[in-house]
Amino acid sequence: MAGVCPPAAPFFGFMGAASSLVFSVLGAAYGTAKAGVGVASMGVMRPELVMRSILPCIMAGILGIYGLIVSVILVGQVTEDSYPYYSGFAHLASGLSIGLAALAAGICIGIVGDAGVRATAQQPKLFVGMTLILIFAEALALYGLIVAIILSGKTASSC
Amino acid sequence: WGIFITGRGSHHKSNNGRVNMASVFDSCWFLWFLPVCYEQWWALFASISPYAWATTGIALAIGLSVLGAAWGIFITGSSLVGAAIKAPRIQSKNLISVIFCEAVAIYGVIIAIIMQTKLVYESSPSSSFAGYGLFAAGLVVGLSNLFCGICVGITGSACALSDAQNPTLFVKILIIEIFGSAFGLFGVIVGIIMVGKCSFE
Repeated sequence: MAGVCPPAAPFFGFMGAASSLVFSVLGAAYGTAKAGVGVASMGVMRPELVMRSILPCIMAGILGIYGLIVSVILVGQVTEDSYPYYSGFAHLASGLSIGLAALAAGICIGIVGDAGVRATAQQPKLFVGMTLILIFAEALALYGLIVAIILSGKTASSC
Repeated sequence: WGIFITGRGSHHKSNNGRVNMASVFDSCWFLWFLPVCYEQWWALFASISPYAWATTGIALAIGLSVLGAAWGIFITGSSLVGAAIKAPRIQSKNLISVIFCEAVAIYGVIIAIIMQTKLVYESSPSSSFAGYGLFAAGLVVGLSNLFCGICVGITGSACALSDAQNPTLFVKILIIEIFGSAFGLFGVIVGIIMVGKCSFE
């Protein structure tokens, strides 16, 4: 079967591109909404702290950017010819790695951000601690991004 | 031995990649672990028409986007009217949250119309590539708009409730809603790039 490209391989490449954005957006949306509700609740009592407390929502939004970057890279890699199953499954794995990592990080940032901003309203010294925990959570998505970019480079020159 | 496994000897010819479905099921359904049967499952996958993939993608793009917009609107709207009982001044400003959710449905309509321009009839398509691409674009746009709509709805509900307590909070929580509405745009960007690669001719 040398020289004949499998017609089903681009399906998995496209599914990688789709899953990278879809799961990242799910995590980012969860983080933004969960932390946003916490900010709105604490803002009623301490309106002067609201602008600083938007930080968890921004960090959750960055996860969507990671997913967008990998998705655009992967869509550029999927082609009709010279695309064996090797490339298709490598790109599927790339999309899943950033997607699921950003989903996990988004859930984490949302829950930590919600609890953190509510606690910061009562004890302003906790803002630094909350920021450190959010940075560790964001690093999880970065690990997924590293692996996704490595896997997205796996292409073949012929079938 | 080959005839024993496959039952009959003569039904492996493929016409344009489609395989006689009887041959898949009557030979391999209980012998799925044999390497000769793996190829028949790929043939099952490959014999789904690319137009099935493409049209499902178009339906998902518009259907899931509208689902996300509706979900966001009911979350925001119910909080808005509840909070406005004691603070009727909030109702006109907070309609902007409802408009942000509606924009998500508009993104879905735009992408579905762009996708349907690619849906042209070829009696024998060269490959399923365009079908897979349109399906993935539909999934991307539909699901990202679904999650964006729910996110904007939850944040808009929080915005209305806090605005009822303290009017200065409206603009600050609106900033979070604007971050949330960016996710629908990410889906539109990737969807347009994917649709651009697809062509049935």
